[in-house]
Amino acid sequence: MTAILTHTQAEKALIGALDGATGWRAHLREATQRDGLPTRRNEFWKWSDLRRAANDVSGVGRLDVTGLDGLTNVKDGDRIELAVAASAGASAADAALVVPAGASVTLVETLKGAAGSLGNWHMTIRLEAGARLDRVVITDHDADAVFVGSAEIELAETATLNQTMVDTGARLSRNETHVTHPGQGASITMGGAYVLAAGRHADTTNLVHHTGPGGVTQQLVKGAVASGGHGVFQGKFIVDRAAQQTDARMTHRALMLGERAEIDAKPELEIYADDVQCAHGNALGTLDETALFYMRQRGLPKARARALLIESYLAEPLDRVQDEALRERLKASLRARLGALI
Amino acid sequence: MAAVKETIEDVRNLEADKYKYGFTTDIEQDLAPKGLNEETVRLISGKKDEPDWMLKWRLEALERFMALKEPEWAKVDYPKIDYQDIHYYAEPKAGAKYDSIDDVPEEILADFAKLGIPLKEQEVLLGVKGSENRVAVDAVFDSVSVVTTFKAELAKAGVIFCSISEALRDHPDLVRKYLGSVVPASDNYFATLNTAVFSDGSFVYVPPGVRCPMELSTYFRMNAEGTGQFERTLIIADKGAYVSYLEGCTAPMRDENQLHAAVVELVALDDAEIKYSTVQNWWPGDENGKGGVYNFVTKRGDCRGKNSKISWTQVETGSAITWKYPSCILRGENSRGEFYSIAVTNGRQQADTGTKMIHLGKGTTSRVISKGISAGRSDQTYRGLVSVHGKAEGARNFTQCDSLLIGDQCGAHTVPYVECKTPKAVLEHEATTTKLSEDQLFYARQRGLDEEAATALLVNGFVREVLQELPMEFAVEAQQLLKVSLEGSVG
Repeated sequence: MTAILTHTQAEKALIGALDGATGWRAHLREATQRDGLPTRRNEFWKWSDLRRAANDVSGVGRLDVTGLDGLTNVKDGDRIELAVAASAGASAADAALVVPAGASVTLVETLKGAAGSLGNWHMTIRLEAGARLDRVVITDHDADAVFVGSAEIELAETATLNQTMVDTGARLSRNETHVTHPGQGASITMGGAYVLAAGRHADTTNLVHHTGPGGVTQQLVKGAVASGGHGVFQGKFIVDRAAQQTDARMTHRALMLGERAEIDAKPELEIYADDVQCAHGNALGTLDETALFYMRQRGLPKARARALLIESYLAEPLDRVQDEALRERLKASLRARLGALI
Repeated sequence: MAAVKETIEDVRNLEADKYKYGFTTDIEQDLAPKGLNEETVRLISGKKDEPDWMLKWRLEALERFMALKEPEWAKVDYPKIDYQDIHYYAEPKAGAKYDSIDDVPEEILADFAKLGIPLKEQEVLLGVKGSENRVAVDAVFDSVSVVTTFKAELAKAGVIFCSISEALRDHPDLVRKYLGSVVPASDNYFATLNTAVFSDGSFVYVPPGVRCPMELSTYFRMNAEGTGQFERTLIIADKGAYVSYLEGCTAPMRDENQLHAAVVELVALDDAEIKYSTVQNWWPGDENGKGGVYNFVTKRGDCRGKNSKISWTQVETGSAITWKYPSCILRGENSRGEFYSIAVTNGRQQADTGTKMIHLGKGTTSRVISKGISAGRSDQTYRGLVSVHGKAEGARNFTQCDSLLIGDQCGAHTVPYVECKTPKAVLEHEATTTKLSEDQLFYARQRGLDEEAATALLVNGFVREVLQELPMEFAVEAQQLLKVSLEGSVG
């Protein structure tokens, strides 16, 4: 039944890079060996053809991570900064974080893929009871990088996750987060913004699995895509039969700024409990001409007016970052990209 | 007081016969031997005296079907279907088509009468005041269309309304031009099967500028044991024409699963409008999931002309498994697609249903309102696609899908796909999943409604937006159906 798979050079390189790997990396090696890199035929990669994007990647690369020391002996008030950089070629690395009970921790991951790289980065995170994690992921990839960042996050009761991502895309950039939500006082806020110039592709894929009663989940993702850019949003909430009184809301909104912009979205709900409030919303459109006209009338040049409008549109999910300096850093990185875009 | 009494009576009636269409009609039938092969296809084609090109088309589809694999992506679960264990053709023995209503065997007339389908034109005239409420009916019994009413009067207006086998005989050019042009033989697994073995169905052609003088309706009845029903409907509204069409479906209660794989094709040319309503009440199987109809249907409308409009309204209460996505291809400039759906699942029913709106032309608009109600141990999925192509400037879509869960053993899922390739489009999608509000239930019960009646009342409120889209006569029927389907889901 299974067709005989001929591995592409990128697949061979990735399998080679993971020779003798253990844990998550061994799993990645096995999956690549068996199925190759995912293509559009894979429902979970419907709009992000990784195999095709990584076509030109060859050879084994390096995924350097600095700041790993911060992941050991984690205590309340810690701020962990990880810089993840992929050189040309295929590479993969992973790390784990446990936030102890009651501790409040900030984790900032900066992902940087070089031209010709196929980087794979994976975090396994566990939040103990009453713990709080503010996780921020910022991408800063070369236009010819291919990068997949993923995280498996598990919350204990009464834990809080606040995750924000800023993705400026790459040839293909995908940020995938899987969260297990036990309810019982635990709560999740997740979201982010993407800004994509021509030739850039960003894919935000999230899955939140509600397994216990009374969970709260808020998700807000916003994006702006210029002509020739491609934004993808895939969100999924699963609510188990045991997860009564779940309150889960998913929103994705995006602006299309140019003729050949493309945005694809799949906000999914899979619900098995009856006493829940679940909603999702998805809206795609372009800049409000009236607002633009209003601003230009007041003497703002067109480009400046557009930039201001887009910036304020994208700022909403970033305002949920509590640390002010961090929030400003995220906004500044968006602003820089926007400036180049308009 | 009267309302309460009526409600109580309704509920009592429901207790008496949960599925009142579950009887079988005892009539001698000609069955094709079981099995799917070239002979079966030749037999069906031969029975209908079809032209050679039809037989060729069917045989090609059969060959293609044999090479295909059954799709598994839908969120439904059923034992494998043995396609060789089905009678692909069943007709009443006395001959398929009757020249006049008087020749139709009494058993069949009685059967349709029990279903509440008035076939005799004079009865229709007597039963309904005023001429505007008349409905022309094409009645399909297993594999054949047994009678089509009001044909003469429709012909006066230039409207062709007949079974598709008659259309192949009397209007071959029209059929050849449009058949398979919306749903090609290669479209999907079940459409390919249908192309190979479809036996009958309705054909409607409304000429330019004509507003069809009455509602058209087809009633599908699956009666014979071990059969499947594969009908094909083709509706063409020429420039500036209007037609409203309704289909209803029922089947006897049986322990076995029966397969229904239909194809419906709609074509709307410039300024034309087609309104297609479905009340689907195939036998859903018993509460343990034994028996019931597999409803695997391909329905698609093509807004080929500018300013054309196609509107789908569906009330889905029956079938063990439903797998259908009535779609609109919005090709013509400023064309409009609409989809209004109420799907109710109870017992062990599974439904994976939704719509596709493909925006190709400039200024195309679409609206999707889907209301799903899951009860018992059922599972229901809304799966929809809104796709806007690069040239569809000014396209607009609004989608709303709400799910209601009754009881904690059911599931409700929403899988919307949104694809947009132009900045000059505005797409909005909203979805919610909730349960019946305890406060509202309490309020209704306080005023003397029992729990079941209160639930029915609230459910009717939940789906009102869609019910409003149904033709008047059927809105009432649909409300009754909702009550029947949810019977036993409370407490």
